[in-house]
Amino acid sequence: MPAVQETIDQVRQIDVDQYKYGFETTIEVEKAPKGLSEDIIRFISEKKNEPEWMLEWRLEAYRRWLTLEEPTWARVSYPKIDFNEIYYYAAPKGVTGPKSLDEVDPEILKVYEKLGIPLKEQEILAGVQKSKIAVDAVFDSVSVVTTFKEELKKAGVIFMSISEAIREHPDLVKKYLGSVVPTTDNYYATLNSAVFTDGSFVFVPKGVRCPMELSTYFRINEKNTGQFERTLIIAEDGAYVSYLEGCTAPQRDENQLHAAVVELVALDDAEIKYSTVQNWYPGDKEGKGGIYNFVTKRGDCRGKNSKISWTQVETGSAITWKYPSCILRGDGSRGEFYSIAVSNGHQQIDSGTKMIHLGKNTSSRIVSKGIAAGVSENTYRGQVSAHRKAENARNFTQCDSLLIGDKCGAHTVPYIEAKNSTAQFEHEATTSKISEDQLFYCLQRGIPTEAAIALIVNGFVKEVIQELPMEFAVEAQKLIGISLEGSVG
Amino acid sequence: MNMQQAIKMTAAETALVDAYTAQIGDLPGDGSVLSVRDTLVHELRTAGLPTRRVESWHYTDLRTLLRAVPAADPTAFADRVDALVPGSTVLSIRNGQADLKGNPPQGVTVRSYVDSLLDGSAAAGLAVLGFDDAIGRINGGLVRGGLEIAVAAETTLEDPLEIQLVQSLGQAHTRFPVTFGANAKATVIERHLSTKDGESFVSSVSDVTLDEGADVVWIILQQQGAADTHLGQIRFDLGKNAKLHLFVINAGGKLVRQEIHGKTSGEGADFKLRGINLLGGETHTDVTFTLGHNVPHTTSTEIIRNVVFDRAKGVFQGKILVAKDAQKTDAKMACNTLLLSDDADLSAKPELEIFADDVQCGHGATVADIDHTQLFYLMARGVPENKARAMLVNAFVAEIVEELEDHEALVESLEEVISTWLDKHA
Repeated sequence: MPAVQETIDQVRQIDVDQYKYGFETTIEVEKAPKGLSEDIIRFISEKKNEPEWMLEWRLEAYRRWLTLEEPTWARVSYPKIDFNEIYYYAAPKGVTGPKSLDEVDPEILKVYEKLGIPLKEQEILAGVQKSKIAVDAVFDSVSVVTTFKEELKKAGVIFMSISEAIREHPDLVKKYLGSVVPTTDNYYATLNSAVFTDGSFVFVPKGVRCPMELSTYFRINEKNTGQFERTLIIAEDGAYVSYLEGCTAPQRDENQLHAAVVELVALDDAEIKYSTVQNWYPGDKEGKGGIYNFVTKRGDCRGKNSKISWTQVETGSAITWKYPSCILRGDGSRGEFYSIAVSNGHQQIDSGTKMIHLGKNTSSRIVSKGIAAGVSENTYRGQVSAHRKAENARNFTQCDSLLIGDKCGAHTVPYIEAKNSTAQFEHEATTSKISEDQLFYCLQRGIPTEAAIALIVNGFVKEVIQELPMEFAVEAQKLIGISLEGSVG
Repeated sequence: MNMQQAIKMTAAETALVDAYTAQIGDLPGDGSVLSVRDTLVHELRTAGLPTRRVESWHYTDLRTLLRAVPAADPTAFADRVDALVPGSTVLSIRNGQADLKGNPPQGVTVRSYVDSLLDGSAAAGLAVLGFDDAIGRINGGLVRGGLEIAVAAETTLEDPLEIQLVQSLGQAHTRFPVTFGANAKATVIERHLSTKDGESFVSSVSDVTLDEGADVVWIILQQQGAADTHLGQIRFDLGKNAKLHLFVINAGGKLVRQEIHGKTSGEGADFKLRGINLLGGETHTDVTFTLGHNVPHTTSTEIIRNVVFDRAKGVFQGKILVAKDAQKTDAKMACNTLLLSDDADLSAKPELEIFADDVQCGHGATVADIDHTQLFYLMARGVPENKARAMLVNAFVAEIVEELEDHEALVESLEEVISTWLDKHA
């Protein structure tokens, strides 16, 4: 049975025009000249007061990038990007790095207020039910404020923008930056290595359980700018950290590029939980505008019994090209990937994960839920591989796709590679519309069709929502509601 | 980047192009056939054999894996062998040349494919399926034998039809356009064998069309020698309510690629694929499958079982495409593997590409060692470990064959092939 007519109508209505973070703020900005060259990279590096080694690192990546070709294997199509038409650096005037809240331009604070991001520490403390979240707010190319720094410092946790970290903790940055995603990794990661402007740096020392959720909120505001953020999270032996990431951008007719790199390092017995609610502007209903989200995210379970868990809710962006991965190097390490990818309108999503089993007794779990509506294309692409020495590697993969409407496409492209006889891999994928049996069951109990569909869609993604930290689960649920669920409920 | 830019040809590429140049004027067909051949060989020369950068060859880098191609050996002689199932009609192809002795059964017409090449009617069928169709390209350029078989409408063949391809060294390139008329019912065994231990290179393309209501069981049994290269392809097109039950059994060869490309063109068509890959020694065996559900109300199920020993490498790529209007498609695919050696490897890529919303599609893939609980169960009952293992491996693949329950003699013969292979390798 195709989705009921009202559902389709409502999905059509709701479309992508409901994007509520599409406002633009006029803020005086300082930009680097348009285009990309060694001079621009020097300019960015200088603006950030970077040491010489960092500049060299960037230039080396840039030179390498010039020799690379844009990848075309993903199931997405878009006009060729002119990398010289992008501004690689845009900062609110007078801001070179995070300052105390009082010094931040009130216009910017208003933006975050509008987005519902708590930046004032007192305000958060005043809220009785709210738990504490430390936020690093990245506005275009710079981090404008990082909250709860002092309190975190007491616990030994370093949480700051990566530009500050390069200056204040060069040894740590030098040791870990590029150790998970090398500058030579892929076209967009290499570009990012050359021009990244800001991002977050987290270091959780041995045995410390980070006392609060850490969060970065990315906002692209300026026209024609690309956002290239770099995040580096290190959890030393026995440490634990949960990190959340959110993103929005104004509504514009042009496409904007966001090419981020995220690196996670988990040492012995450490655990990193990384959650994303990606809600970049997806373009209008004609497919005009929207963010190109070309992101490289990778976690390295370097230590024994370490664990990295990725959870993502992807509802925004015109094009998403993103494969948060785990390298399971340490014996007994574990990787997890939970994803909800909702595409509507003209959105194109090609997303998934890689679980590379290298150590003994490593395990991984992948749960991916794709929902395609409108004329969107939604692809799951994943790789699970067991190396020769990865004894007892274990993987379970489940990817389900739900189609609403007959103009969208859902695709599944898993790569399963086993080189060890003790490896045990299970993969299952299904594509269907809402099950008639389930619907019948609900209807039979007096639940109206629309409510029943809402219930089923909700149930379809529940497994992933449950993995999100509480603060985010609420937002994620709301988001899916906006993208789809409202359309059926 | 200019794709026409001349590449540096590998030894195998040179050998294939040279084989063509050497036979020019001697290969059957001129006019349109010759012009297609020229184009195909030109493409081979300019683009070369596919590498892993070509997505459909991701796990089988033919350019690297195909080191050399043996030259044609005019002195080699291949003997006929007994039919797999006693009582079958055997259509014999020896070293790529059809032997048209004997009369085909009632309702079946058989003619040499050479005649179709000579009269030009083969030209259209020589076209490749796409830029990545390396098998179609090699075969189309060099084909010089095969059979054109037509099973008339309303014909029911009681005994199997065995297309027996026996190879002895050298090369052979054969093609088999086969049509089944409305409501025809038949069992075809396409059997590839080698009679000498030396190296041979074989390409074979079967092009099968089923008209409305036809019901066909098609078995591909590949048992070539341990040094042989086998590039096989079967294309099929299913009419309304047509049923094709395809069995692919690989139990030999060094470098093997068996492609299966089909589509459903009539409502109610049903396709079943059952594959058994028995991989041992140094073999690299790749089964690549694509199926286009192009019209509404068609069904398919695919089950592939791989058993991988020694230093063997197994590949399964399966892609189910559901076209925009193909509502009510029901497609299920499973690929199960027993990986029995740490030097062996297995790669699987089961894909779904879906453009219709009212469908039920799914796939599953597993890779594992023998189930230890099952092993324990048998050993607890006094079965020695090696015997228990053998039983479990055998059961893993034999249950697939048992689906052919209506063809008792065939089931027995195939079980025999499997147990002989397992006795030798396990």
